[in-house]
Amino acid sequence: MVYGIVPPYLLARIAELDDEKFAHAARSARRALEQAAPMRAARLLFSLDESNNLVVEVGDGPNRTISDAANSETLPGMEVRREGEEPTGDPAADEAYDGLGATFALFSEVYKRNSINGAGLPLDATVHYGEDYDNAFWDGERMVFGDGDGEIFRRFTISVSVIGHELTHGVTQYTAALEYQGQSGALNESVSDVFGALVEQYTLDQTTAEASWLIGEGLFTDEVEGTALRSMKAPGTAYDDDVLGKDPQPAHLDDYIETDDDNGGVHLNSGIPNRAFYLVAEALGGNAWERAGQIWYDTLAGPLGEKSTFAEFATATIEAAAARYGGSSRETDAVRAGWTGVGVTPEDIA
Amino acid sequence: MTDARSEKTVTWTILVVRTGGFAGLRREWRVSSRDDPAVDWPALIEACPWTTRYPPSRSNDRFVWRIEASAPPRTKKATLPESSLTGSWAALVEQVKSAAAR
Repeated sequence: MVYGIVPPYLLARIAELDDEKFAHAARSARRALEQAAPMRAARLLFSLDESNNLVVEVGDGPNRTISDAANSETLPGMEVRREGEEPTGDPAADEAYDGLGATFALFSEVYKRNSINGAGLPLDATVHYGEDYDNAFWDGERMVFGDGDGEIFRRFTISVSVIGHELTHGVTQYTAALEYQGQSGALNESVSDVFGALVEQYTLDQTTAEASWLIGEGLFTDEVEGTALRSMKAPGTAYDDDVLGKDPQPAHLDDYIETDDDNGGVHLNSGIPNRAFYLVAEALGGNAWERAGQIWYDTLAGPLGEKSTFAEFATATIEAAAARYGGSSRETDAVRAGWTGVGVTPEDIA
Repeated sequence: MTDARSEKTVTWTILVVRTGGFAGLRREWRVSSRDDPAVDWPALIEACPWTTRYPPSRSNDRFVWRIEASAPPRTKKATLPESSLTGSWAALVEQVKSAAAR
């Protein structure tokens, strides 16, 4: 099976094909055009059947709009690229567009989720936010990316894991709505790191063993002694720099950081569930987005409380694994072992 | 009771801590009002709404700012989301960052 995002103008051409060989494709394209909002792309799935006929199935497509804040802090900024339009030539705008597409593809193709809200919500992003702005964030409606200061940080669109991370905050907002404080906040952050990493791995077709498990690789300039902002495989080892200090993320519950800063250390303690996910993926091998990712997605989309603790989330992942693969399955055992590996004891399961 | 003139002779220590953001990096700026006596620090501090409680932000990955000003026995503390760092708060933080960089 080959997946492709087909822009509206190409859909229109396919819809007009008058060759019997492509009759199925033309019908699919016409149906996509009828269903889709103006300017929305459709995802067509191309394959050959046993008789070597081209089979085209209509899937969901993203509806992306990239805006440019022109180094102001006013949102959304000026639209520079809409769905189906040609690249702008501005790396930040084009990386954001491609990264949103890659994230949409993971959620749509693997987890059958149509965009952030499961119902085709448009994906909006703003680039060039602020002056030398060292950050990227999700503001509840759109993804916003700074250019970095050029001394410590490069532009935040440079890593697809960052784009996947931000968009996943939107998915969490529409599913478990994990409260952004303390342990539930650290879980919110971790879930964004998990799917940010999976977007990168799915895009590059990397197995668990091949993947870097780094978040924000390439964001630091050459001046910084570090490879990325976070390591899911080995939290606390992503950087060790004279100016920035050492990566402070804990990898085990014994080292949980109690702090009032950063909403209770949500970007620090996320290292613990990040490592748990890595351990599950490592135990299962192969592509992490398949079984480990599916279990985490099922958990996020399941009956999870907004104020979930690590233990409650761990319990939910075990229940999700058992529901999909069976209580005595290798997958469920791997999830249990993953949480044990970071010192989190799941609550008793009835 | 202190009048405006004696208030200007009080030494304030101001600490600004920025945490959070996508990177989760902590940055800190600290100044003493004696470091830059040309600045009217008491006026900058008094202008800020220290008792305001800010609602949780809808945003994820934005910075969180913790600001403390102390001139014993007086201490003022506030924690605010990035989206609220405007007006008098922004003026105070910019002045602290600027003075700390000198």
